[in-house]
Amino acid sequence: MLEIKDLHAAVDGKEILKGLTLSIEPGQVHAIMGPNGSGKSTLSYVLAGRAGYEVTSGSILYNGRDLVAMPTEERAAQGVFLAMQYPVEIPGVTTLTFLKTALNAQRRARGEKELDAMSVLKLVRGKAATLKVTEEMLKRALNVGFSGGEKKRLEILQMALFEPKLAILDETDSGLDIDALKLVAEGVNAQRSPERAMLVITHYQRLLDYIVPDRIHVLARGRIVAEGGKELAHELEAKGYEHIVGKAA
Amino acid sequence: MSAAPETKKQVAEIGDKYKYGFVTDIEMERAPKGLNEDTVRYISAKKSEPDWMLEWRLGAFARWKEMREPNWARVHYQKIDYQNAYYYAAPKSTPKKQSLDEVDPKLLETYKKLGIPLHEQMALAGVAVDAVFDSVSVATTFKEKLNEAGVIFCPISEAIRDYPDLVKKYLGTVVPVTDNFFATLNSAVFSDGTFVYVPKGVRCPMELSTYFRINASETGQFERTLIVADEGSYVSYLEGCTAPKRDENQLHAAVVELVALADAEIKYSTVQNWYPGDEEGKGGIYNFVTKRGDCRGHRSKISWTQVETGSAITWKYPSCILRGDDTVGEFYSIAIANNYQQADTGTKMIHLGKNTRSRIISKGISAGKAQNTYRGLVSVHPKAASARNYTQCDSLLIGGKCGAHTVPYIESRNPTARIEHEATTSKIAEDQLFYCLQRGIPQDEAVSLIVNGFCREVLQQLPMEFAVEAQKLVGISLEGSVG
Amino acid sequence: MSASATWLDERRAQARERFAAQGVPHRRIEDWKYSDLRPAVEGANDDAAAAWSIRMRPDGVEVFDLAQVDAPDWVRAHLGTLPQSVMASASLAQARSGFAVRVPRNLAAGTLDFEWKGAGSGRALIVLEEGATLTLCENTRTVGFANLGVEAIVGANAQLTHVRIASRATAAVQVEEYAVQVARDGLYRAHLFNGGAKLSRAEFQIVLAGTNARAALSGVSVLADGAHADVTTHITHAVGHTESTQLFKKVAGGASRAIYQGRITVEQGADKSDSRQTAKALLMGVRAEADLKPELEIFADDVKCAHGAAVGDLDADSLFYLRARGIPEAEARNLLVHAFLDEVVTGIADDEMRKFVRAMVEEALPGAMLP
Repeated sequence: MLEIKDLHAAVDGKEILKGLTLSIEPGQVHAIMGPNGSGKSTLSYVLAGRAGYEVTSGSILYNGRDLVAMPTEERAAQGVFLAMQYPVEIPGVTTLTFLKTALNAQRRARGEKELDAMSVLKLVRGKAATLKVTEEMLKRALNVGFSGGEKKRLEILQMALFEPKLAILDETDSGLDIDALKLVAEGVNAQRSPERAMLVITHYQRLLDYIVPDRIHVLARGRIVAEGGKELAHELEAKGYEHIVGKAA
Repeated sequence: MSAAPETKKQVAEIGDKYKYGFVTDIEMERAPKGLNEDTVRYISAKKSEPDWMLEWRLGAFARWKEMREPNWARVHYQKIDYQNAYYYAAPKSTPKKQSLDEVDPKLLETYKKLGIPLHEQMALAGVAVDAVFDSVSVATTFKEKLNEAGVIFCPISEAIRDYPDLVKKYLGTVVPVTDNFFATLNSAVFSDGTFVYVPKGVRCPMELSTYFRINASETGQFERTLIVADEGSYVSYLEGCTAPKRDENQLHAAVVELVALADAEIKYSTVQNWYPGDEEGKGGIYNFVTKRGDCRGHRSKISWTQVETGSAITWKYPSCILRGDDTVGEFYSIAIANNYQQADTGTKMIHLGKNTRSRIISKGISAGKAQNTYRGLVSVHPKAASARNYTQCDSLLIGGKCGAHTVPYIESRNPTARIEHEATTSKIAEDQLFYCLQRGIPQDEAVSLIVNGFCREVLQQLPMEFAVEAQKLVGISLEGSVG
Repeated sequence: MSASATWLDERRAQARERFAAQGVPHRRIEDWKYSDLRPAVEGANDDAAAAWSIRMRPDGVEVFDLAQVDAPDWVRAHLGTLPQSVMASASLAQARSGFAVRVPRNLAAGTLDFEWKGAGSGRALIVLEEGATLTLCENTRTVGFANLGVEAIVGANAQLTHVRIASRATAAVQVEEYAVQVARDGLYRAHLFNGGAKLSRAEFQIVLAGTNARAALSGVSVLADGAHADVTTHITHAVGHTESTQLFKKVAGGASRAIYQGRITVEQGADKSDSRQTAKALLMGVRAEADLKPELEIFADDVKCAHGAAVGDLDADSLFYLRARGIPEAEARNLLVHAFLDEVVTGIADDEMRKFVRAMVEEALPGAMLP
């Protein structure tokens, strides 16, 4: 589904990703771990297509298509979803309005029929309850005044709503206490399916106790320096990044 | 708020961004070009006006000749040649219509394009429409229902003939004949407009609405609107404006006067979408408008809401004179200026009575090479004990070549009054835009969404059907402004 | 000023032309809406020379009397070169007295204290070279009509702290123009005390000309019956990454008038500029008036600009709270008015200066609190 080959990417002319290769099949959950500054967030922005994150060489194929050539919103419509580390506040736009606008924009791009307000509301309600996203939150302006946990739950709700083919979770665990983390992880696990691939980006091993990955990649200085099964996370936890990163270098 | 695609389709159908930019081909009857006493007499005669009205107009014209065009606003334009325009134009076939079926089908088609399906409105919306086509009122609906309530809602030309006492009593009492250059010009040559009178204790049974439209070329439009809410009454009035696109600039100098007597309330909403000129700044309407409300009786309230997206130049300051004790004035405004548009708009809140309260919420959006100015006065006179004002002025800039300016005047002469003013300036953040794009929302729609969020406090003040139209307009006005 | 130098004659002649073209400002001129100078200066003697004296002069600082001939190069390079408002043009054209100060490169100079006296025109030029610092303490004790123009050139990484004290002078008409240019990493800080005059107008034209240039203005006006004090500022962010803050508070008693007009201009391309502006006034009676006009003029989109203004009386809840604790009303009011002004005064970093300004406030406040 996703095939990244020898990817080099730069921000402000500075190369951050330096030859990254990675592939994910449908139904798999891969985790990317790495110390601060290793290029984890850059990878997620490159995949989502954020302006200023420039692919200088290498390729990214998404279901056989050249992802780099696709505009940001088209990637979203074709099933690439990025749950962000810092979800953005948009004052004055209610959460529900935002959800409806995004959902219909994606449907329109795929040539599907748009949904009316009532249908969207029903759909959202159905998914909101298990994530403890309240009606009151839906009426508030998007992410404005939301707690850290509320913001992350809303990201997962969007994932449930948009039903992406490739979900990238960027530091979804950062800043969450253990209860909030469990709630988010349950939401994510509920969406694991044979058609869906997930890329979980995290600094901490803790998240991977709850979202158990099929494969773990360790990213350092813009490259994958180690790969392995879920047991790799525990090794990292026990010995620290320095051990593995140092060994690779 | 997923308005954009639908709207885009409409726009595509008409073949340009400005969807009201078509011309209706109807034979026109015009006053000779230019402006002199004879023009004033011609207009008065065309309207079969009584002598007192003609005298009033001639008095205004005599004063106007002595006046100078104001130049204090932050707007720049070529000098207007007042002699090179027509001051009266009307569709030739305009005997009084008994029903809509008698109206020229071309006109009705025009209204349909404008999005005012009269028939549909009669049946569904419960909105009475007094449609002004250039200078003559074409069709007035829902008269009967209003008659039952005793509400007078008619073209002002008709009111001058049928209700001279009411008109005489109130016309020019809020905006005096000599108020300012454009208001005085309007007093001399106004061709039509709307008159509303809501009797004591009556809550007007429906929203009143007038769509004005400039169609004939080289024609200035000078409407005059007078709304009187008698003691304890309530009325909500909606005004929408569009004009065809032409290369030359056209002048629109309207005057609106509101009078609220004791315990009365007037809510006045405008969606102004006059042709703004093209992307190079060619053409467009000069919108020089004087709007003022007088809270004449105790405990009365006047609320202005405006969404200004059109016109090459906007010069307008809907104001409230808070004369009675415990009166309330409100001003909610969205002003969008894109390309080469210039907007200088705001309000005046004049606190004269005790315990008077006012609230100003202004949202200015600048894009392209436009200049957008908020200019407002809050004035508390010595007798206005315990007066209160709150003002919030927010500016949003899109791109580094436009300007956003805030010029508030705060003048207080009473120690118990309290005035608070806040202003902020911001831009659409890159991360907001990226977040929307990542969720599949295309750029123009994202801009529209974010800007509508920025404007929400004002949009909420509009009646539902207007709010929807206003949201769409916000999107259209800013298309292509980012990236 | 030195009569024989042709360079000076030329600058004066140009200034005279600029002034003649505009004339004495009056209330129909937008910038002078709240201060009508024309009737106030009728019959004033144009040729009078305001007296100046330097009371304290730090070591290493060069002072030049502008009445002397043979001005040094640094005076020629700067005198009359900053943009001049209409009244600054008048002071440049007419002043026959004044002085210039130069703080050499990297000198931390301490305090220079000077005074203006009498009626007439005066000019001063303050030049801080790169890395220099100076505290300038200015005292105004004028009578009749005085028009004083001060230019300050703040060099790269230099810091000028300007404390300006205008005591109450209800017979005087004082017009002061401050033109300030701040180079990169430079800082101009001003603290004003206004006791008010028959007409007092202090106008600041500040240009933040280099990146990371900053201006911080604050002031109090404490006005008793008959006093008028107009503070008008115009700060231009000419380049990006510049910062300005303003905090002005006014207490107006009797028939007095407190005016603040503040304009901030952010020029095209001056991204990442940050400006904040706050003006607040308390009116003590029905004859007092406050006029505030905090203006923004923005031509760049990536900026932070905010202003706030408020006019009102003392907070009723606070007053009630204090009285409920047994503090008599007059005392409670006094306490709250002090607190209101003290937010500004505590911002003066220099201990001596802060004490001095606080003493001025103490002296003026009883009169200003009378309705």
